[in-house]
Amino acid sequence: MIRRLWKVAFAEWKLFYTDPAAILLLVVAGVLYAFYYPTPYINQTVSKVPVAVVDLDNTAMSRDLIRMASAAQQIEVKSIYAEMNEAEAAMAREEIFGFMVIPENMEKDIRAKRPVSVNIFTHGAYVMLHGAIGTAFSTCALTVGATNKVKQIALGKKVPSAKAIAMRDPIPISIQTMFNSSGSYSNYVVPSVLVVILQQSLIIGICVLGGSRAHRRFRKKFRDSPVENETAEYRYFGRALAYFLHYCSFILFYHCIIYNLFDFPRRGELLPMVVFSIVFLASVINLGMVVSQVFLRRESSMQLFLYLSIPILFLANFSWPSYLMPRWMVSISYILPSTFAVPAWLSIEQMGADIYEVAPKLYQLAIQAVVYLILGLLLTRARDKAKIDIGDM
Amino acid sequence: MILNGLLNTIRKIYFSHNIVLWMILLVLPVGVSLFTMGMFTSQIVQHVPIGIVMQDDSRLADKINARLRSSPVLDVKLECGSMNECERAVVRGDLQGFLVLPNELERRALRLETPVIPVYSSGQNYLTNMFATKEIRSVISSVGSEMFVPEIADPVKTEIHSVGNVEGNYQGFLALGLVTAIFHLAAMIVGVYVLSFPLRDHRVTEMIRYAGGSRLTLWVASVFPMNIALWLELMGCYAYCHRMLAPLTFDEFVMTAAAQLFMICACSGAGIVFVGVVGVMRIATGAAGVIGSPAFAFAGQTFPVMAMPFAVRCFAFVLPLTHALKVQSMMLLGDVSMEPAWQSMKILIGMAIFWNILGALLMSMRWKQHLRREAARGQSSGMDVAGMDTKTEAVT
Repeated sequence: MIRRLWKVAFAEWKLFYTDPAAILLLVVAGVLYAFYYPTPYINQTVSKVPVAVVDLDNTAMSRDLIRMASAAQQIEVKSIYAEMNEAEAAMAREEIFGFMVIPENMEKDIRAKRPVSVNIFTHGAYVMLHGAIGTAFSTCALTVGATNKVKQIALGKKVPSAKAIAMRDPIPISIQTMFNSSGSYSNYVVPSVLVVILQQSLIIGICVLGGSRAHRRFRKKFRDSPVENETAEYRYFGRALAYFLHYCSFILFYHCIIYNLFDFPRRGELLPMVVFSIVFLASVINLGMVVSQVFLRRESSMQLFLYLSIPILFLANFSWPSYLMPRWMVSISYILPSTFAVPAWLSIEQMGADIYEVAPKLYQLAIQAVVYLILGLLLTRARDKAKIDIGDM
Repeated sequence: MILNGLLNTIRKIYFSHNIVLWMILLVLPVGVSLFTMGMFTSQIVQHVPIGIVMQDDSRLADKINARLRSSPVLDVKLECGSMNECERAVVRGDLQGFLVLPNELERRALRLETPVIPVYSSGQNYLTNMFATKEIRSVISSVGSEMFVPEIADPVKTEIHSVGNVEGNYQGFLALGLVTAIFHLAAMIVGVYVLSFPLRDHRVTEMIRYAGGSRLTLWVASVFPMNIALWLELMGCYAYCHRMLAPLTFDEFVMTAAAQLFMICACSGAGIVFVGVVGVMRIATGAAGVIGSPAFAFAGQTFPVMAMPFAVRCFAFVLPLTHALKVQSMMLLGDVSMEPAWQSMKILIGMAIFWNILGALLMSMRWKQHLRREAARGQSSGMDVAGMDTKTEAVT
């Protein structure tokens, strides 16, 4: 029995190393994307974003504020304007991505204990820049405010400045990032994307090779060979074994090489990683086997799944939290392995979760694997019996 | 005569029960765009799940707890007995972060010892972590400022405005770009499909015959309808997504629509070039997917292009999406952006012309080659052109 399974698995391996379309999807895509996706984020964080200051006050205090902004790491003050129009035009030319407006009479108002409002404008199309510029400018403006408030307290309450500082902010906070201490954008994006790459390339690859059906028509020379005409179960499990072992090597490759090369945190323990690999790949392979029975042409799956990549990535709780999505979308996401695999992988590899902590997600992947296995076997039998004259599979 | 040929060819390509073509030309791009927009319907981040470790049993700790619970941005899901409990909940993905209200918080605060409140965020979700920590900071500092000097207001307040996206909603930030990225990919895939299925099904002779023997007519009949269809769909989806933001003026609308049209033309042209080079639909679709799928990551809307390495910036520059997004984002800023947007528009026009001319040349050579092959095939099988015609009809 095992020999028959291996025979089918080897035949499938041989096929996907000799078919250019399969090589592209099952070998090249997995390797290429692993380098291709992290490369834009190799600098990890955004720093020195070009910005400007509109100084309508032009006093010693406003110049202090500008000096402080120039020293901030996230931004680089490129210009100081006297008019807001000039800053708007510079932002339109994308020479700057935001600006701060120091209001007229700022120093005078502060000294007269009148509240002052400093406006910060950022480019509405860039989410990351909005955050970086907003944080940098507000920190500077609030620091100027805090300095003055401390002076007011010290003078008003007649206390030493150290006491005044404590009275202004008696319970300071300190923010610690637990699993991404550098705040790296690639640490946050790439690990999730890698799981989706594995899923998408594997499903499309299986579909391009026709899943577990017999008499694959694109194999003109071999479609009557004994391996091609094994019983449905041997074909199914033999081919699944080939994909499974091939993709296990990808997970190892990501864990040992890509994570090291791009300096992603590698906290995964052996047991949860092994269990994750088994249930995730089983679920994806079985889903691929099910979907592959739907297409008549080898390239149709590519056309479909290329379109679906973006929603699949977002449905995996990546970037936008799933509890903010409509219920029906969340329900649809339950049919995709990535919905459970992405958070499970992040918990294991980025945060060092043990097997008990990720067990609920692994159970869900296991349930998917079983459901798709049953469906896949049924559809393979149905497809073997059906006579279809069109297509190349 | 030419018009007849053109219409016949268009009918043959687009209206001969080609389900796959209509799926990738209409159903999938529009469906996926609407689905993607639907994800961001709540527009802003709310109810971020956090935990609290209440080591201090005081009125101040209770006050902070109550304020955090009343914040719409946060959802205090768990009150942990120890830090470890909250940490494990973060690892499981149940919480995005937690804060510790340390022992003797109130006593030390009243003695002006400034006890620090540690806030831990997971760091695994940029957006939710950013919102959660900002909100926690603002809640705690407002509680702190009420303790000793409530009568002295903060002398400086800041207001952050997102120009062109006043509400700061994520349909504006992300979905507008994502919709354009979906059509960027769609144009490549459809370009590959429309120009390669006659090659795949050995129907070049038939198509050329419908086009009255003119390769130019066949080219026009293949390329124009798909570009126009995709452009109209993109404009529709974009307008639907844009309804949350300030309406575009007529000039801004024309500029945005023109940029989208040239992006579609450039991408379909690039898809056609892939077909011209490899001649096989499967491999050309794969190439389009490899370049088109991750384009959004390189186009600078999430992670800015200026922070990318030089080689990646060059790649981003050759993607039509980068320039189309630039024009779209400039149009958010109003009239002042009209002139700078022309720079990106010129690049897009250049790309559209370049890819289409190159595609036309390569396809012309491919068609010639396939005409010869099909003639040879017809001769060797003893089948005339009409016979081949009926067979290919059946195959389709």
